[in-house]
Amino acid sequence: MSIANELRNLLRSGVHRIGELELQTEVYGYPYVICHFEDAELSTEPAFGGLELYEGPAAARDISTYARDGSYRFTKGQTNLKNGWVMALQNEQELRLALDHFYPASLGLFLAQRNGTLETENLREKLNRQTGMYRFARSISDAGAQKLVQEVCGPGHLCLKRILWKIDDKTPLDDSEASRFNGIPGELAETEAIPLLCREACNHFVAECRRVAKDEFQKPAET
Amino acid sequence: MSIAPKPHSALLIVGHGSTENPDSSVPYFDHADEIRKRGLFAEVHCCFWKEEPSMREALYMIDSEEVYVVPDFISEGYFTQDVIPRELQMSGSSSVVRGKTLHYCLPVGIHPSMTGLILRRAKEVANGVNPAETTLIITGHGTGLNQNSTKAIRDQVDLIAASGAGYAAVLDAYMEEQPFIAEWDKMAPTPNVIVVPFFIADGLHSFQDIPVLLGIENEVGPAASQREAFRQNPHHLRGKTLFYTSAIGTERLLADVILDQIEDFDKLHKHQ
Repeated sequence: MSIANELRNLLRSGVHRIGELELQTEVYGYPYVICHFEDAELSTEPAFGGLELYEGPAAARDISTYARDGSYRFTKGQTNLKNGWVMALQNEQELRLALDHFYPASLGLFLAQRNGTLETENLREKLNRQTGMYRFARSISDAGAQKLVQEVCGPGHLCLKRILWKIDDKTPLDDSEASRFNGIPGELAETEAIPLLCREACNHFVAECRRVAKDEFQKPAET
Repeated sequence: MSIAPKPHSALLIVGHGSTENPDSSVPYFDHADEIRKRGLFAEVHCCFWKEEPSMREALYMIDSEEVYVVPDFISEGYFTQDVIPRELQMSGSSSVVRGKTLHYCLPVGIHPSMTGLILRRAKEVANGVNPAETTLIITGHGTGLNQNSTKAIRDQVDLIAASGAGYAAVLDAYMEEQPFIAEWDKMAPTPNVIVVPFFIADGLHSFQDIPVLLGIENEVGPAASQREAFRQNPHHLRGKTLFYTSAIGTERLLADVILDQIEDFDKLHKHQ
């Protein structure tokens, strides 16, 4: 089944959230309407409650690139998606395109996980493939990486993704709010949301590994 | 350019991207939008080395079983020959990866049709300036990692010099290897100089680093999208009149070059 058809079935089954987006069907003649979940009630009022209306998925690029304060959202799982807008979409293809701008590949990753075909990638594999200035990131210690997960990942640190990777095959992540997070913000049941999945460490995490690795090199732990 | 529609195939445009500069991925998405509008492919997607979706994530967002992979890079080099094939797990010009057939096309920057885009951009920025009194410099990054990285620029210099465009001199110059772009005024024999950055995006290198090397700015400024005012040509510097263009990849017609590379791939590998 195509990804767009899978998406339609998910919405029919009661799914209405991905990341910070509320997904609605049949609003004022539009088959699909999406907005920030904080604007969900407003978006069902006449004239979309005064929210700025975008027709079609084209605006998804800009909305997903800049946070409320205008800063660059360098990872799309960040919890700083701006609100005040609503996007009306004519079909599943447009909805899918919009979602792939807001949360790149997240729908496909979820579907692959659901049918057991998602391949994850542990941190060491990711770091060992880095090049140029990021090559040094691979020298981070396991302890440094574990600490970094708790300092950088999870909703407590602005990221809404569920971490699927380990440090390496034999080293799972230490238990923490970040490692336990299921990729669904708020109190929603798993049947109501598409979780955001982190199948490999993001480039922000890699950059942080490099920073910590350099610190570790300059200030070796006392033995 | 009239590529035959491929309604059962996907196009995957591969770019570099950046975690620091929001403008780095803009051209790739622009090119994808342009091609998507033409309805030639079942799907058009982008993926990146330093942004989301990553190359390793990209295949999960594609339905089609046949995927044309086009590196939206300006040269053949480390990324197109090492990083992209490794990340997408491709082993040749066509590879089966996770049940999909991936066709790996050549990077846009080495296609001969880039020559026309450079000349067009140079003419736009210095409209009315006599080419016979003008040096055209094509500038790139340059790196010790791969000798092919500068070949695309040297090839374009040769093509433009032989094109009859009439420039007094056509030169190549680089950020990190000789001849250095910082010495543009010494290498240019004419009063007018046009510098075309042979990059895809107006990102860190072409919009922030090179203007400092040229002397347009004293220090690295903010990203293009985060500036209140855009730069105005020409710049009167070091006794010459300098015209500095946007990165060549920001040209919308680069979408046609992506399609050119797909057409060339099919001619070469599919005997169509």
